[in-house]
Amino acid sequence: MKEVIHTQDLNVGYDKKTVISDVKINALKGQVICLIGPNGAGKSTILRTLAGMLAPVNGTVYIGQEDIHSVRPGALAKQMAVVLTEKLNVNMTSAYEVAAMGRTPYTGFFGKLTEDDHRIVSESMQTVGAMNLAGRDFLSLSDGEKQKVLIARALAQEPQLIVLDEPTSHLDIKHKIEVMRILNRLSNERGMTVILALHDVDIAVKSCQFVLLVKDGKIMAQGRPEDVVGKDTISSLYDIEGAMFDSVMGSLEICNEKSPDVFVASGAGTGTPVFRLLSRMGYGVVTGILHKNDIDCHIAESMKLTIVSEECFEPVTDTNRAVAADYLNKTAFAIDTNFPLGTYNCDNIELLRSSVKPVFSLRSPGEIERLYGNNLNVTYVSSVGRLQEQISGLSAV
Amino acid sequence: MAKKPFLTAMWFIIFAAGVALIFLFNVGMGSADITVPEILRIVFGGADQSETGYLIIQRIRLPRALAGMCGGAALAIAGFLLQTYFSNPIVEPYVLGISSGSSLFVGLVMLGGITFGFQRITPIFLFIGAFIGAAAIMLIILFAAVRVKNIITLLIVGLMAGYVCGAATSILSTFAEREQLANFTMWSMGSFAGFTWLHLKIMYAIVCPMLLLSFLMAKPLNALNMGDKYAQSMGINVKVARYSLIFISSVLTAAVTAFAGPVSFIGLAVPHICRIIFHTSDSRILIPGAILGGAFMASLCDFAARNILSPADLPLGAVTAVIGAPIVVFLLTRKEKL
Repeated sequence: MKEVIHTQDLNVGYDKKTVISDVKINALKGQVICLIGPNGAGKSTILRTLAGMLAPVNGTVYIGQEDIHSVRPGALAKQMAVVLTEKLNVNMTSAYEVAAMGRTPYTGFFGKLTEDDHRIVSESMQTVGAMNLAGRDFLSLSDGEKQKVLIARALAQEPQLIVLDEPTSHLDIKHKIEVMRILNRLSNERGMTVILALHDVDIAVKSCQFVLLVKDGKIMAQGRPEDVVGKDTISSLYDIEGAMFDSVMGSLEICNEKSPDVFVASGAGTGTPVFRLLSRMGYGVVTGILHKNDIDCHIAESMKLTIVSEECFEPVTDTNRAVAADYLNKTAFAIDTNFPLGTYNCDNIELLRSSVKPVFSLRSPGEIERLYGNNLNVTYVSSVGRLQEQISGLSAV
Repeated sequence: MAKKPFLTAMWFIIFAAGVALIFLFNVGMGSADITVPEILRIVFGGADQSETGYLIIQRIRLPRALAGMCGGAALAIAGFLLQTYFSNPIVEPYVLGISSGSSLFVGLVMLGGITFGFQRITPIFLFIGAFIGAAAIMLIILFAAVRVKNIITLLIVGLMAGYVCGAATSILSTFAEREQLANFTMWSMGSFAGFTWLHLKIMYAIVCPMLLLSFLMAKPLNALNMGDKYAQSMGINVKVARYSLIFISSVLTAAVTAFAGPVSFIGLAVPHICRIIFHTSDSRILIPGAILGGAFMASLCDFAARNILSPADLPLGAVTAVIGAPIVVFLLTRKEKL
């Protein structure tokens, strides 16, 4: 496939001082390439160099086969468009007029728009779903709406390549997703190459085909997100302490390494909200007995909880049963998260049934009676929210 | 890009009619009133050249009215270009101290010209002096702009440069001869009075091409509204556009200041009023709008200066400030920010 933009021996920076050395980018047609890294890592510097707005300290950026700095600005503008972070200070200008500015490289001396130009601007607005904003004053739009209009403006330049600096910052979740979907659609349907900087790791991992991790003046790693982004990469990329990026779920979990106060019998995702609730309340958590393929086990690992775990699809061993019983004895109370019961995890109910400590169960009253019989330690709790009140009540006593 | 072409056209007609009307008033009214048919007869020839009316109009009022129109248009465009350059709505030649720089150098020419060995102070010298002054202050501000991006700081730099020029001007005045000083003082309060036809020709010869040039820059100006980086990414040569802006606005300011003295607020208020009236930031509409609006506003202020306390002639700067300052405050405090 043809390279839309690529670099050779590229060092980027300001005033001949290198900020990031050895930037290797080979962007193919239709690729979505994402730079991720902490603020101030130099993502914008790379993007500005790629966009030809900043001269490289060393090396060359090629657009097609030509050195970007030898391409006339007018010609370059027809191949590449940008969406920047800087605020647009345009008064008395409608969203449509802002988008129409994208036709500047094509219009004549006075910038008069032809019918063709108007058609392209309208199509661009439609592509980003901003046609309904056309007549509104640009400055009266929300951040998300402005971003869509700015993308429409870039599209109106009819580029093969679009470079975006942090297009999702300051946007609400709805617009974040919308912007990423638009960019993905441009790459899939129109074969447009998209290069962007992001600091939302989860969004980057889920929507980009290629990522570069930027930190401390260098590219830490680059490749497919599946290959590059693991638990440790993200934590070290952002110097995160006390939280862990779950690369399978694409979520950031806050760690809880306290010694266990509560035993949580969980499974199949019923435990996760309880883990988070207890961590928030400041309790240490032990959970079990979980099979290693269980989603709750996965999340508990990311949260660094204490886990009594069993090999995938294997019956619970006696050792594990003993370990779990030991934890149950040492903790102040236990929680039954209403996990699905099956042949290989019925030991959990056995454990709770024999508990002498209080047990809060999220199961229905009928089920509690059937499973626990007349164990008076078991209390019915209708929801995770109610659980918080029950636990607070317990510690007050 | 006009949102409502009909409204835009209507406003242009109103502006043009306003300019024509105030022009007639300026020529016709004053300490001696002259009727419209008489004006037309005098202007388009056929009047006896020794008539009093002919003399008043031909020698005094017509040059003054024409100077006011040209000066107003020049200041409005200079203000508009500077506002685009700094992407800030409250800059204009006077605020940035450019007019003060011009004043200092005009002062040097007027007060010290003979000392420097010039035989006569020609209008060309005045203009060159004014341009050197304007360009010098512009360079100082641009130099500061490389280091500080904060517009308020830049305004203060301009303001301070203006004060220094003012101080230098007053020191200069101390050593000036009485007669020259009186002339200079009158000039420094700003006035379209005393324009000769020669002055007028020179002023029009300088201002008209610059106005045309600014209109030809409408497309880069529109792109610059989006900020330098976007403009560059859309294929605009930002450097060339910026240098041209500086050059044009300095020349326009100098042309007015050389002959009419420093005139405040027209460059500030007119572009704003045009933005509000035409409800657009499109330079292709705002530039002709500001030319007409500037001509109208300057003529109106001059009309007020001549007639409020007639036969006394108020300083033009006083009138533009009294009319312009409230407009600026209104603009800055209204909800819909510019």
